[in-house]
Formats: sequence, C-alpha cells, structure tokens
Amino acid sequence: MRRLFIQFLAALVVIFFAGGFSYEISAQKRDSFLHSTSSHKKLDCSSCHKNPTSNWAALRGYPDVADFPGHTACNSCHSGRQFLNLCSACHTPGATPKSAPRYPFPAKGNSQEFNTVFPHNVHQDIIASNTRRSDVAVAHFVNASFREQLNADDKPQFNNCAICHQTSDALPKLAPRMPATEKPLADAAPDSFVPKPAFFKDMPSGHATCFACHFQGAQPTGMNCAGCHSLTTRHFESNVVKRYSFKFDHQQKEHSVRDCMTCHLRISQNGDVRTMKDADVPFVACVSCHNHAEDISKEVAKRKESADKGLAPFQCIYCHTPAVGRFPMPPSHEAR
Amino acid sequence: MSLLRLIAVLVLLIPSGTVAVAAQSAGSLEVSGRVKIGGKVEKLTRKRFYLFRGGLEANKTLVEKLKAASVTSRDCFYCAQKASPEFIAWLKAEECESPYCRAITVDDTKKVPEFLAAYDKGLKQFRNKPAIAQQWLTTNLSPNLRDGFYKQQKASISTILGTVKPLQSSMTDSVSVKAIFIDIPVSSGSKPTETFLVSNIIPLEFGGKSYLWACEVEIGSAKKVTLALQVPEAGKTIKKCEVIVKDLPACAAGVCAAK
Repeated sequence: MRRLFIQFLAALVVIFFAGGFSYEISAQKRDSFLHSTSSHKKLDCSSCHKNPTSNWAALRGYPDVADFPGHTACNSCHSGRQFLNLCSACHTPGATPKSAPRYPFPAKGNSQEFNTVFPHNVHQDIIASNTRRSDVAVAHFVNASFREQLNADDKPQFNNCAICHQTSDALPKLAPRMPATEKPLADAAPDSFVPKPAFFKDMPSGHATCFACHFQGAQPTGMNCAGCHSLTTRHFESNVVKRYSFKFDHQQKEHSVRDCMTCHLRISQNGDVRTMKDADVPFVACVSCHNHAEDISKEVAKRKESADKGLAPFQCIYCHTPAVGRFPMPPSHEAR
Repeated sequence: MSLLRLIAVLVLLIPSGTVAVAAQSAGSLEVSGRVKIGGKVEKLTRKRFYLFRGGLEANKTLVEKLKAASVTSRDCFYCAQKASPEFIAWLKAEECESPYCRAITVDDTKKVPEFLAAYDKGLKQFRNKPAIAQQWLTTNLSPNLRDGFYKQQKASISTILGTVKPLQSSMTDSVSVKAIFIDIPVSSGSKPTETFLVSNIIPLEFGGKSYLWACEVEIGSAKKVTLALQVPEAGKTIKKCEVIVKDLPACAAGVCAAK
C-alpha cells in the first residue's frame, strides 16, 4: 500500500514538472497559440503587439513588428502554470525560459492564421495621375521599399504595380490552374517545358513595401493590423503559383513594353484577388495581339480538325502545358 | 392532396420561369482614351470610367447630376490646403494628383518645403536613417496633402452616384490608352444589343479645362464594341453623348479662386 502511494506521488511529480517545463517540448507546441480564441479575438492587436519593436533596426532595417509581444502582454491574463505553458509559443527549447532564445518572428514554420487583403482597385486609383508620358511597366521597375537614392537627373519613377511585383529571380512553386468544372479530354501528353524564373513576378513577403506608405497616417496604418490581415482557419502557406498558361513570359520584348493593366484587365476593379473567379488576364487580352494564323488561331483550328476527324484531341501548347491544353476549349476561345 | 400537388408544381415552375426571363449573355466594350483636343490627339491614361445599365434617357437623373456637380479641381484643392507653390509645381510637373503618383527624389525633397519637413520629421523618428526618412516620406506628410484630394474625389463620386450602382468600372492603361470592360451581362430580349451608359463621373483635367463624358453605347454579345471619346467642336454636339467641357479656375501661386 505504501509502495503504491509512493508510485502515485512520483507520477504526480512527473506530471507537474512535465507541465511546468512545457517550453522544452517539441516545436509543434509553438503552433498552440491561437489568435482566434474568443478571449484573444476581443483584444485589440496593439494590446499585445508593438510596432515598431525595439529590435527593428538590427533585424529588419526598417521600423517593423520584428518580435513577439513581451511577457506583460501574456501575464496580464495568464498567470502561474498557465503562463508557463505559453513559453514554447515564443521561446526555443532551452534550459530556462529566461535564457532560452526566441524563434524568429513571425515563426515561419507555423501555420498561418491570417489572410492578407490588398485592394488593387484602391491602389490603382490613388496612384493614378494625369500623366502625359508613357509610364510603362519597364519604365518603373523600382523597388519602393529599398531602392537606391534616386538621382535627380533620372526620369520620373511613376509608382505602379512594380512597387510590389518584381521580376522573379527564382522559379516559384508551380501548379497548373485547371478548369473548375470541365473534365480533360485526354491524358496529358509528355512535356519537357520548364518556365524560366523571369516569366513570373514576385510579391512582398514582409511589411517593407506596405509600410513605405502605410506605416502611419494613411489607413490602414502599421498598428491597424486588421486593416490588411483577417483571421482565417489555420493553414500552411503553400505559395504555389497557379496559372492557366505557364508559357507567358513577362520579360518577352513585346510584353515588357506594355502596361500591366493592358492585360490584367480585372485588376483595376478588384478589391481582393481571392474573390476573382476567372483569370485576371482574360483571353480577350491575349487575342488582341495573338490572333494570327501562326499562333492561337492555328491551335484552335487544329483542335477543331482533330474533333472533326474523330482523332485524339489536339492538345494546345502555344500558351498551355498539356496539363491544361488537353481540356475542352472554353467559350471565350471559340468566340474570338 | 391535389392542391398540394398544384402548389408543388407552381413552386417548381416559378424559378425556372425567372431564369428564362433573366437569361443573359456577356458583351465587352473598349473605351479609347485617345481624344482629339484642340487639333491634337491627347492620351487620357490611367483614368477610370464607369458603366451603367440603360442609356442617356434611362439615366437622366444621373446625367443631370453630372452636369450640375461642382467638383474642386486639383489646383484649387491644394491651393485651399495652403500647399506651397513648390509642392503644386511638383504635382504639375508630371500632372500628378497626389504625392503617391511618382517617387519623390532627394532633389525634390530639397526643393519642396512640405517634403523637407516630412523628411526631417522622419529622420528623427526613424533613428536617423536617411533612406527610410526619404522612402517613407509620405507617412510624415499632412493628411490633406497626402491623400486629401483622392478622398475628396471619392466623396464626390459617392455624392453624385447616390444610390445608383455602376455595373462595372475600368481604367485606361498607359500604353494602349484603353479601358476595357468584359463580361458585361447583356439581357437577351427581342434586341440583339442592350443600351449602356459610360461616364467618368469626375471631370478629367487636361490643359486648363475639365472634361466629363456621359455616352450611350449599344453592347451585344456578338463582338467587342469600341467607344472613341470625342470633344465636340464649338457649338456642335456629339451624337448620343453629353460632353461637358469647362474652363478650370485659376488656382495657382497661392491665389485660390472659387471652384
């Protein structure tokens, strides 16, 4: 009986210490902190987060939220063991909470709780000008966040899409964008096509570009987190670029001299790209140039011919990879 | 029981009838912003146009409001905000509407008092980092100089439109100078086309004058329709188009005229 009591006591001690030193458990524990609990949702973001944090100069080089909230943000509500249980949300496994370093902020391995909304229509309006010059895409490939000091003799750098979208220097993760409702007519033909990084444009991965205008003053400001970020169900950022056409090269001579809006027709109307049902570059933008006997027209004719002769369907390759080119031709392509 | 059956049949029939009446196809429209003004073709780039269902007659109230609307011009707005002549000159140099239009250079900062004040403020705030003070300069500009004109224009659009909701809007690009509307729902009735109205709502400023268009256009699903904006010669009118041309008030060099 006495032995049983000692074993029970030992078990209690183990459980107690296991809970108390939860900062030592696996990195997955980091993901246990939720912004979406009913208590956290009642709080204003600024009640925990500070912008800028004191470490901005060293970590970012520009004023930013570069660190987790301090202990006071947590222990104003969570005390004792409950507070100790939160260590692993910010601290790496270490000897004691005080000495354990923190994960980089934001913790990249965690699943994301927020979506980012960027209203392209509003930004197109505010940067609109009565310009009489050709502020074409190539004329303003500037990085607004950290461009070099402009020379006074340089041509004016009109603000436009290139502030946020630069030519990629690495190939992003890619996946074909499949028609939502159609079924493919055949298996995809073998294909060795690999797009180049320069075919793509990147997008901001931090606050630098946004804060250049929105750090303070213009809403949503750097402390109005909810102005851009909305809570969502937890997900891992896939960052997979999905396109109907992987063969479009933004840097191709005839493409690069155009304004982005010449083809991205829907972007000046759009308040949130996630709500866009169709491609933001509709087919009509492509055929305004590519409607000759040797390009899209030829492909359309080949598809029709294969259908008429009862042959295996011709898989369109001028714009598409076979993953997409094997699908039925959409009505937009028929009614050129 | 037979009454229930009848109700069930009616319930099934009503929605299908509604769908049949509302059957629509999609049309597209191209508005060309290359406009002949004073014998020269000018480009109205990066300008927003709105599309409304119905023609001039159906949108009579809106058209009357467009004609009667008094919208403060860019120069008068900034003049009223007591912007320095240098600030207004910076905007006018590239026909900008706000400081967000183009990059503010180091040289611009030296010349424009408002830019210099914002830069100095930023330098103190951003730990003496000149690059950030320069690149984030607009975050230290006064609200009215920063985005006041944009907000005023949005408020004017909202007042003019009231409860009227445009079907779509689109902007002219800077190269082809076209605003393209796609997926326009065209009702398929007895006529192969439907009448729509295109307007810029807020007058466009160009060469000392303001221009406002409200033009009727027939859109069908068969092919893309093109609307070429025109300015009528003195004493003449443009068919199916209301074009309101006004002289812009003189609001330069700190003398703010009336609207």
